[in-house]
Amino acid sequence: MAATSFLFRETTSGLRRNGLVAFAAISTTFIALLLFGLSLLISRQVDLMIQQTTGDIEVVVYLTDPINMDNVHSLTQKLTDLPVVPSDGVTFESKNDACVRFKELFQDQQALVNTVDCNALPASLRVNLDDPEQFQQVSAVLQGQPGIDRIVDQRDFLTRLFAVVRAFRLGVLIMSVVMLVSAAFLIANTVRMGLFARRKEIGIMKLVGATNWRIRTPFLVEGIFESLIGAGIAILFLFALKVAFIDPLYTQIKFIPWVHNGDVIAVIPWLIVAGIVVAVLAALAGMRRFLDV
Amino acid sequence: MISLQHVSKTYRNGTVALEDVSVEVEKGEFVFIVGQSGSGKSTFIRLLLKEEDASKGDIYVAGKNLARLTTWKIPHLRRNIGTVFQDFKLLAVKTVFENVAFALEVIGKPKHVIDQRVPEILDLVGLGDKLNNYPDELSGGEQQRVSIARACVNRPLVLLADEPTGNLDPSTSVEIMRLLDKVNRIGTTVVMATHDQAIVDAMRRRVIELERGQVVRDQARGVYS
Repeated sequence: MAATSFLFRETTSGLRRNGLVAFAAISTTFIALLLFGLSLLISRQVDLMIQQTTGDIEVVVYLTDPINMDNVHSLTQKLTDLPVVPSDGVTFESKNDACVRFKELFQDQQALVNTVDCNALPASLRVNLDDPEQFQQVSAVLQGQPGIDRIVDQRDFLTRLFAVVRAFRLGVLIMSVVMLVSAAFLIANTVRMGLFARRKEIGIMKLVGATNWRIRTPFLVEGIFESLIGAGIAILFLFALKVAFIDPLYTQIKFIPWVHNGDVIAVIPWLIVAGIVVAVLAALAGMRRFLDV
Repeated sequence: MISLQHVSKTYRNGTVALEDVSVEVEKGEFVFIVGQSGSGKSTFIRLLLKEEDASKGDIYVAGKNLARLTTWKIPHLRRNIGTVFQDFKLLAVKTVFENVAFALEVIGKPKHVIDQRVPEILDLVGLGDKLNNYPDELSGGEQQRVSIARACVNRPLVLLADEPTGNLDPSTSVEIMRLLDKVNRIGTTVVMATHDQAIVDAMRRRVIELERGQVVRDQARGVYS
C-alpha cells in the first residue's frame, strides 16, 4: 500500500514536472498508434472483401445476342470437360437473371436501376474454378467458339484492386512505424529529463540501497502511462473515423462487407500492446547509462 | 567489519588514487582517515560503497568480498552502510521527517516501521521537535543531524562519513562529533574521512593517514599529525 502510493506520487510528479515534453510524447504516440490502428483496420477490410469474394470468384463468359441455347449447352459441356472445372461449376445466367441480380445489388439507388434498360445486360456463363490460377485453360478452350462476346476474369480485377489497397495499407503501416520510432525517442527524452531533474533524489536512493528496479519503476511507469494516454486517444479517434466515414457506407454501398465496431474493438489490444512495448523499450533506452550503479 | 588487502585504485585517466593499501577495521571501531586533498580519502570511501571497483587487491565489508558482489546485490550492501557527506544531500522539497523516511521508503519498508523508527532516530539526533521543518529552515549543524539520522535510520553496521564537518563552524562540528561518537557507542562502526585537525586531536581515536594514495601511518588513539 505504501509502495503503491509512493509509486503513484513519483510518477505523477514526474508528469507534472516536464509537461511539455510529456505532451509531445503523448501526441506523437497518439498519431503513431492511430496510423497503426488504421493500417490494421484496412487489413481487416481487405480480408473481409477477400473472404466474401473468393468463395464465388468466377470467370465470366459474356455471350452475344441472340442467345442460342444449343450453343450454350455445347459451351457448358466443353467447360465441364476441363479438369479444373467441377461438374456443377458452370451456371447460365440469362438476361433476366442478370437483370434481377443488378436490381438487387443496387436496390438503394433506384435512379440507377430506372435508367438502365435490362435488355442491355448480357447473358453469361459463370464458371467456378477449383484452382482460380487456371484461368488460361478456360480462355484456351473457348478460343474461336461462336457466340462469345468476351471472357472476364473477375479475379484479375480484384487482384488489381487489392494490390492498390495493400499498397495504401503498407504506406500507412510505414508511416505508423516512423511515428512510433519518433514517439519512442520522445518518451526516452521525457524519461531522461525526469532522471536529470531528479538526479539528486536518485543519488540518495542509490546510497541508501534502493534497488535499481525501485529507482527505475517510476520512470518506466511514467513512460507507459504517457503511451497509454496516446493509445486511448488513438482508440477514440479510430471509433470517430469509423463512425464518420464507414457508417454511411453501410447503407450506400451494401454489396461490400464493411468493418464493424467489433473489428475496431479487436484492434484495441494491439494498439495497447504496441504502445506498451514501445514505451518500455524507449524508457529503458532513456535510462541506460544514467542508472548504472 | 572492513578489510582492505593490498588494494590499489587507478582511475581510467591514469590517476593513481590508492596504492597497496591494507587496513583492517574491527566491528565497533571509530576510525579517522586523514590526509591532504587528493590523498585518496574519498576514493577509500567510494570503494567501500562499491561506487568504484578496486583495480587490485581485495575489499571485504561485513563479510562480503566486494569484487565478487554482483551489480544487483550492491543495494543490499549499501543497506548495511550509512553515509554522511559534507553537503548533507538533503531534499529541499521534503520535510525533516520525509527526508529520513525516504531512506526507508525506497527500500520498501512498511509504513508502520517508518512511523516508528523515524521519530525515534530524530529524537536520538536531537531533532525530535523539528519533524515538519524543511531543510532550509535549519542551521547547517541541524541539517547534518538530519543526514546522520537518515544514514542511521536503517540501523547500518557501518557509518561512512566523508568530511561531515567540512561545512560547519568549530562549535557545531564538536556537536556533530558528539553525535557520531554516540552512534559509535551503540555499536556502529564509524569510518570518517576528514582534514579537521582539531577534531581528530580532540577525539583521540584510531587515525589512518593517507599520503599520495599510501598508508603512511596507522595509529590507535592518534592525533592528526
